[in-house]
Amino acid sequence: MTRWIVVAGLLALAALASLTVGVRDMSLDAYLQALTAYDPQNPAHVTLMAIRIPRLCAGLVAGAALGVAGVLMQSVTRNPLADPGLLGVNAGAAFALLVGSTLLGRADEAALALLAFPGAAMAAAAVFALGGGLRGDVGPVRLTLAGAALNALLLSLVTAIVLIRQDSLDIFRFWVAGSLSQAVARPVAEMAAVAGLGGVLALLFAPGIEALSLGGALSRGLGTRPGRVQAGALVAVTLTTGAAVAVAGPIAFLGLMVPPLARMIAGHRLRAELVMAAMLGATVLLLADTLGRVVMAPSEVRAGIMTALLGGPVFLVIARRLRPGAGAA
Amino acid sequence: MRGLLLVVLLLGATLAALLLGQVSMPFSMLWEGLTTGQGPGAMVIGNIRGPRVLTGLGAGAVLGLSGALFQTVLRNPLAAPDVMGFTSGAGLAIIAAIAFGFSAPMPLVAAAGGAVAALLVAGLSWRPGHATPPLTLILVGLGIGFLCSAFSTFLMTLLPHAEAVEAQRWLTGSLAARNWTHAAQVWGLGLVLVIAALAQVRVLSALELGEELAAGLGIGVERVRWTLAATGVLLAAAGVAVAGPVPFVALMSGPLGQRITGARSLAGRLLSAAGAGALVLVLADLAARGAVPGLQLPAGVTTGILGAPYLLWRLSREMERGGL
Repeated sequence: MTRWIVVAGLLALAALASLTVGVRDMSLDAYLQALTAYDPQNPAHVTLMAIRIPRLCAGLVAGAALGVAGVLMQSVTRNPLADPGLLGVNAGAAFALLVGSTLLGRADEAALALLAFPGAAMAAAAVFALGGGLRGDVGPVRLTLAGAALNALLLSLVTAIVLIRQDSLDIFRFWVAGSLSQAVARPVAEMAAVAGLGGVLALLFAPGIEALSLGGALSRGLGTRPGRVQAGALVAVTLTTGAAVAVAGPIAFLGLMVPPLARMIAGHRLRAELVMAAMLGATVLLLADTLGRVVMAPSEVRAGIMTALLGGPVFLVIARRLRPGAGAA
Repeated sequence: MRGLLLVVLLLGATLAALLLGQVSMPFSMLWEGLTTGQGPGAMVIGNIRGPRVLTGLGAGAVLGLSGALFQTVLRNPLAAPDVMGFTSGAGLAIIAAIAFGFSAPMPLVAAAGGAVAALLVAGLSWRPGHATPPLTLILVGLGIGFLCSAFSTFLMTLLPHAEAVEAQRWLTGSLAARNWTHAAQVWGLGLVLVIAALAQVRVLSALELGEELAAGLGIGVERVRWTLAATGVLLAAAGVAVAGPVPFVALMSGPLGQRITGARSLAGRLLSAAGAGALVLVLADLAARGAVPGLQLPAGVTTGILGAPYLLWRLSREMERGGL
């Protein structure tokens, strides 16, 4: 129990840091004032309500969603390198958003955000089918390479679109690495609801996924229907990843780093792991975002780049431990 | 002589790349420009398409050869400098040089970046007392590639807008605005390295028969591996220095070249890979700059769109064969 309290405390600290640290350092007094007696003339109050709080909410939603998505993908594929970013699910959602905004213009952000879900679903289905992810017995190399190929394909298409439309580089930057800085323009509340739905679905299917990891015959003996469980997990991955991308853009490596940590802290029970991963994901993303605001102030390093720089070494450590081709990986 | 087929294809591609584009010109104009050195044909060839096509041929050839070398040494069709992060490392080094205003010849910078990436991949995959399986190298290489791309994106955000656009085009892999210096550079370096690679054919073919047999023939297996890997990294860097980290050319060229020529001998396969690389890059560039009226896309867009499905197909083939 103490572990849970410690993690909750860390999350609270990260949220506090996200609110107070930045180009304009703000004291806690200013917060209390802004909440109790909001003054639209006071720039500190405006910063808080219009920028910092939406940003905090976006970080909470996207981080928690990606943590859950990471745990789901890693347990369904039994592959410690599975991550919505590395496997191209983020890219699929971001690609659909980008195509939508180029074709339809920026008419309605909330309606546009819905496009993230078919994008994520198609990418997830493609990478699992092509990478053999659902068979569970394939080595980690194939799934990771399939993800890399999908990412490269979508990157090429996006480059072409961006160059054809002669739009600013900002679209491209959005595509390459997500950020929380546009939070106020994104439908955070709606996506929080969708991500929550994905989380509930994940919790419902958790026993089935655990049974699946015992192996085909044994799990069928326990009465699990593999097709149904996998489809459920895929829907949950799509909902959480799509929501995260609609809020913050593609953020890679978060879903890679968080699950092993969650397992270490919460133990090998999938439901506990999922809840823990949601908390840790939010904590890590908020910290990465805050760090990105500090390291090169006054300019900002995008949160997606910070998570990639943090998560790259984690990938290498895991890849080094796996001995693919040298027996069971 | 199916090798002749590759030569004919290369000549045809070169001719098409010189004649076609946003503005196509009739063959007579090209002929007049080539023979008399005057007129619009000579202008286009001399200033724009000539160096561009020649650079593309050279860069494609060195990338293709580099891929074939790694695929042979590691005995895995998925092992290629673009999959294993070496080209990303070379690209990162060049972006870093641009961002920090560090002036050095680009091939040198690219080679340094590629070599550091390769050493990191080898070092991180290595475990004392264990043989390093090629798949671990590929996996660790993918990770290094991810990290290098993340750093490149990070550095790009430091650049002012105009330079960032240029850097972006460059990172995709592009043959736009190449001059004769680029062509001379890649061809000069390429020829030296091709000779270096061909000089190692004998030991490499012994290595192909198996490590123990090669060691029995008195070959220092580890030393040969390192020399071959160094040659491969330099070849890839020579290509990246003039064309950027164009994705998947190195990966596709070896099998494609062999499909075209049907070469059995190792030297034949390596040369086929070089030819196929040149073919792929020049045609990809032609498609990229002709696809959208009024706009030239970078060649890396086409090789990415072509190469990713190839990689996926290759994965499922390897899977069926139980190679993964």
